[in-house]
Amino acid sequence: MLGDFEYVRPRTIEDACKLLLDGGGEALAYAGGTDLLVDIRNGLRAPKILVDLKKIGELDRLETRNGDGTVIGTAVPLNRIAEDAKLRTRLPALSEAALTIATYQLRNRATIGGNLCNASPASDSIPPLLVVGATLHVEGVDGPRNVPLDGFCTGVKKTCLKMGEIVTGIRIPPLEEESRTAFLKQQRIRGHDLAVVNLAGALSPSEGSLRIAIGSCNPTPLLLDPIETGSHSLDALADEAARMAEAAIAPISDVRASAEYRRAIVPVLVRRLVAKLMDGKEGA
Amino acid sequence: MHTISFHVNGEPQTVRVAATMTLLELLRDRLHLTGTKEGCGIGECGACTVLLNGAPVTACLILAVEADESTIETIEGETRNGQLSALQQAFIDAGAVQCGFCTPGMIMSARGLLRRNPEPTDEEIIEAIAGNLCRCTGYEAIIDAIRLAAAANRAREDDSLLDAAPPRDDEGAADG
Repeated sequence: MLGDFEYVRPRTIEDACKLLLDGGGEALAYAGGTDLLVDIRNGLRAPKILVDLKKIGELDRLETRNGDGTVIGTAVPLNRIAEDAKLRTRLPALSEAALTIATYQLRNRATIGGNLCNASPASDSIPPLLVVGATLHVEGVDGPRNVPLDGFCTGVKKTCLKMGEIVTGIRIPPLEEESRTAFLKQQRIRGHDLAVVNLAGALSPSEGSLRIAIGSCNPTPLLLDPIETGSHSLDALADEAARMAEAAIAPISDVRASAEYRRAIVPVLVRRLVAKLMDGKEGA
Repeated sequence: MHTISFHVNGEPQTVRVAATMTLLELLRDRLHLTGTKEGCGIGECGACTVLLNGAPVTACLILAVEADESTIETIEGETRNGQLSALQQAFIDAGAVQCGFCTPGMIMSARGLLRRNPEPTDEEIIEAIAGNLCRCTGYEAIIDAIRLAAAANRAREDDSLLDAAPPRDDEGAADG
């Protein structure tokens, strides 16, 4: 037996929001449960009501339309994202990131919305979504609002969601044909592990810009200012990106790595990421 | 309390469960299907892997109430009429079992893999069982076993038997 809670399974977003609002802080949104049930078991959280979002049909959609971007429902499990053919072609950074989260069994349960709303500094799904300008669709009893993902996390395990609000979906704007994305994750072992550092990049040749986001080095995943690619050589661009990343990170020492290690590895990883984006290969 | 109905290894079940009961507790303590093991209880070790609507999941991190209207397959469903499945036999033939505590979860992960990918590469086998920890074997013999089961292509036939899934206890009734 886990904790002491009731379980409710609303069929509409409206009902879910009302249940969460009525429950005050004692009711928690429940999706995959792979973080929440572990926290309950370990006594870190003690909700009175779990509001299961998985039976709300519209939270389970995953659609990519030409010219209209992609919409991912909050309750879509990570394996569906990792295996989605359109995402693998158009946004490999997200597919690759999803594939590095936990294990096959857990990815059948763990959801994209849960990974975002858990707001871990080491979330693997956030950097790839930051670099392509994802927006979150949020609904609450006062109606819907759109929240840019950049700024959604307000601190370690904290988001800007208000009482009674849930993230219902993620909107990824249409990406140009020539744009490229890439994801890298430094971990302690080859099997499943949380990130020591993770990072994603998006290169837009038509805009001449490079966007990089870095996780596990700040209280929230960090989106760097866009870098003009201009006529820089690969080396010059990699140097500039590494310099910006080093200036922006504020890592701490934790169970996975020391702050010094993170400071040392970030410029190396940024250079690898830029090389991967520019020529499709992982360089130095 | 919640009343839930579901199928376990082809058999229909209706039980009342508390909201706080896990699927693992339901299987082991209520239905006495103790082949599914509890290792860590936090989704790290994979010993409690079962198939939920065909997909491998860790039963320790699912609420029993969520099994409502679902289909669950456990290690007990591998054996048919006292006959081991080809996958189980492959684990024996490859010497893939030492203490055996991880074996039910390993076999359920392998079952899920062979169903979605009947001819996996070694890399795909390794990825599929990355969530199942074994502290005895060093994994090589387990990978051999899954490769063996796939190569014989017998696992697929086992699946067609499983998928047909008429309630087995009714089968003899008309004949009697």
